[in-house]
Amino acid sequence: MKSSNKRSHKAQKVLERFEKKLNRQIVGSLVACVHCGNCTSACHYVLANPGDPTYAPAYKADRIRRIFKRHFDWTGRVFPWWVHAKSIYTDQDLDDLKDIAFGKCTNCRRCSINCPMGVDFATFNRMARGLLVSVGVMPEGVAVVSKDQWEIGNQMGVLKEDHVETLEWLAEELEMEMNDPRATIPIDRPDCEVVYSINPREVKYDPRTISDAAKIFYATGESWTMPSEDWDMTNFGLFSGDDELGGAVARRLYEKVSELRGKKLVISECGHGYRSTRCEGPNWAGMDITDFEMESSVITMTRYIKEGRIKVDKSRNAQPVTFHDSCNNARSCGLFEEPRELLNLVCEDFREQYPNRAENYCCTGGGGAMSMSEYTPQRLKSAKIKADQLKATGAETVVTSCHNCVDGLSDLIKHYKLGMQVTQLVNLVANALVIEPRPEVPVEVAPPVAEPAELAGSKILVVDDEPDFLLFVSTVLEDNGATVLQASNGDEALKLAKAEKPDLITLDISMPGKSGIEVFEELRNTPETASIAVCIITGKPEMRQLIYNRPVPPPEGYLNKPVDEEAIMLNIRKTLKLISKE
Amino acid sequence: MSDLLHFSEHTLQEIALGVMTVVYITRIIWLMRFKTGKERQPATGLRGTTMRNGVLYSWGNIAMPWAMESTRTKMFIYGQFVIFHLGVTVAIGLSFIIPYAPGLLESALLVRILQVIIGAACVMGVIRIIRRVSDLYMRAISSPDDYFALILLTVWFFFATLAVPNSTAGGEGILLTYFMLTAFFLIYVPFSKISHYLYYPFTRYYFGKTMGHRGTYPMKRVPEPRR
Repeated sequence: MKSSNKRSHKAQKVLERFEKKLNRQIVGSLVACVHCGNCTSACHYVLANPGDPTYAPAYKADRIRRIFKRHFDWTGRVFPWWVHAKSIYTDQDLDDLKDIAFGKCTNCRRCSINCPMGVDFATFNRMARGLLVSVGVMPEGVAVVSKDQWEIGNQMGVLKEDHVETLEWLAEELEMEMNDPRATIPIDRPDCEVVYSINPREVKYDPRTISDAAKIFYATGESWTMPSEDWDMTNFGLFSGDDELGGAVARRLYEKVSELRGKKLVISECGHGYRSTRCEGPNWAGMDITDFEMESSVITMTRYIKEGRIKVDKSRNAQPVTFHDSCNNARSCGLFEEPRELLNLVCEDFREQYPNRAENYCCTGGGGAMSMSEYTPQRLKSAKIKADQLKATGAETVVTSCHNCVDGLSDLIKHYKLGMQVTQLVNLVANALVIEPRPEVPVEVAPPVAEPAELAGSKILVVDDEPDFLLFVSTVLEDNGATVLQASNGDEALKLAKAEKPDLITLDISMPGKSGIEVFEELRNTPETASIAVCIITGKPEMRQLIYNRPVPPPEGYLNKPVDEEAIMLNIRKTLKLISKE
Repeated sequence: MSDLLHFSEHTLQEIALGVMTVVYITRIIWLMRFKTGKERQPATGLRGTTMRNGVLYSWGNIAMPWAMESTRTKMFIYGQFVIFHLGVTVAIGLSFIIPYAPGLLESALLVRILQVIIGAACVMGVIRIIRRVSDLYMRAISSPDDYFALILLTVWFFFATLAVPNSTAGGEGILLTYFMLTAFFLIYVPFSKISHYLYYPFTRYYFGKTMGHRGTYPMKRVPEPRR
């Protein structure tokens, strides 16, 4: 590759690395496009932005293809203008490419399956992302998440002690619920049949999915365990295009399963996690996995039911549900019949959405889009296609086997006011579970003591500008014994926090006047309120990164709206428990 | 037959074919120099979705307009594609029939059939030019090569349609133009988007192999029930 004096250092590096990234499949996709336009209407971005051809997959692909043509294709080298070949020279060129590769495509691969030539745009768009990331050109969220995954070992920066503590707390809850000391979450137990790997979102924001899975494992009597470290089955390498990160993350998990001598790695419901761990990981890591199997928890749960290891009562899930196929599961891993089979076993009223399976539309939160807040407006605009699809089903609940999709769908449901709930199969299976009493282990029964209300003695400040939500959260907390203070804006919240010094503040992010982010930062920077625990409750999950990017200690808790009583109590309980330990 | 026409029908075509063959072989060697990605992951998907089946499905995709939403929902465009490419095949075949098997064209029926096919392809070419120029999305993705290749083929179809009877009664102009355009076309193809058919077997092979191994190909579709 010849260098040019006109070219920036980063642009030069991108060009040098471009050649190394090329393989026969990618080169085929780069040379074979005939600009027939068939892919145009396959893209949800195009459909939601009529009249804007810059969203067309072939147009976006050409922003990458023209670099290839200029440097590797003979016509492009000699007559660049004839085939629209063009090199990159400045950092601005790279920024423009970033906006295409990250901001206008979720790598959902829907255009790829609609290309008569077999051009796999998603694959070389990922390559372009990787090239940009290699020179530090990427959305801020991608940088933060990648850094956490490199340095801490999981993409949400969950520390080992927090992870273990959460599992122990969930295990205690499960034991209480089941009234059986055998109902637990075994950590780092060797020689188990199942090693269960999860998405860090579960431990951080949605622990109910872990306890539901634990309940199912308990009901089957399965020999299972969860690792205390190297447990993250998600892999930001898939989104960032960084194969080195992809390989490192996958290797950690594979080595952990081998170290524990697990027979099967069960991957909880996550589209990109499943694809990364089950499909791409061995390629990135350069490992042939032979000493254990890997499967999606969807397949595991279905097998448990079919083998009679657990019993379910589908009448417990009577509400109409529809299923959203994650692009990574359905289009890139062929996992689409299994979730339907399971849904039909645990739900009474399942409704398809059209198109479905490998032709389904992206939730619009894929490809790491949820971590790129700068592209949120165009993401939500393009979500109109998915919103219409969901609405047409008439279902009350949308089920998906992907955490990214849970966030993406929750966001669009709120934005388009669809009034639907999002849940996962593990939640439905756990809800339908008929747990038969296992032979009791004799235990000494203590005389009954009247228990005080759970939050008795706790003072909690609830901050939210929505009166209904304020009332709802306050009522839940008061019913559980807490003394509740209310504030409907940021200034009021700060005043009350200083005057009353509550044990905990639940804080909305998006409020008129002073935003939750400003309030949070001020609370942390004010000595008398700095140590008050804060639990963020927001309807804008894309703002999450902004909170965690503040130069102050992160919040102790986090919840996405809509929330139910159970979720609030789980989170508050955990947060208060953390404070008391500290 | 003049010497010029004889040269155009034989020597010129042979030179053009030779150049095209050399350039194509070079191109394939160039493509094969790139490594293929190794698939280490165990297969996923339902029974029947294998690498082999994926490749076969992928190659056959072009003849299954129902298989892809992009063709299923745009049957008129798919029809254009079929007629246009049928026209290319027939017009190329004509460049061999005239010099090597002119007797075939003594059948008026065959002449008429070939003219209808190539003529229809010419009409499709015109429609495609109009679409490429008038459609905002098509314009945005089109390069000079895209326009030129389409115009070149459409003009070539026009002269091919007229050349089918292989008659010099009205002069040799039509046949000369057809053969010279054919020769230009053969030499130009490897340097233009028209070379896509060289890549087609490769791109569809690799995509089909991956999607078959991953359980997506052959694709399972559950359409919306009719109400």
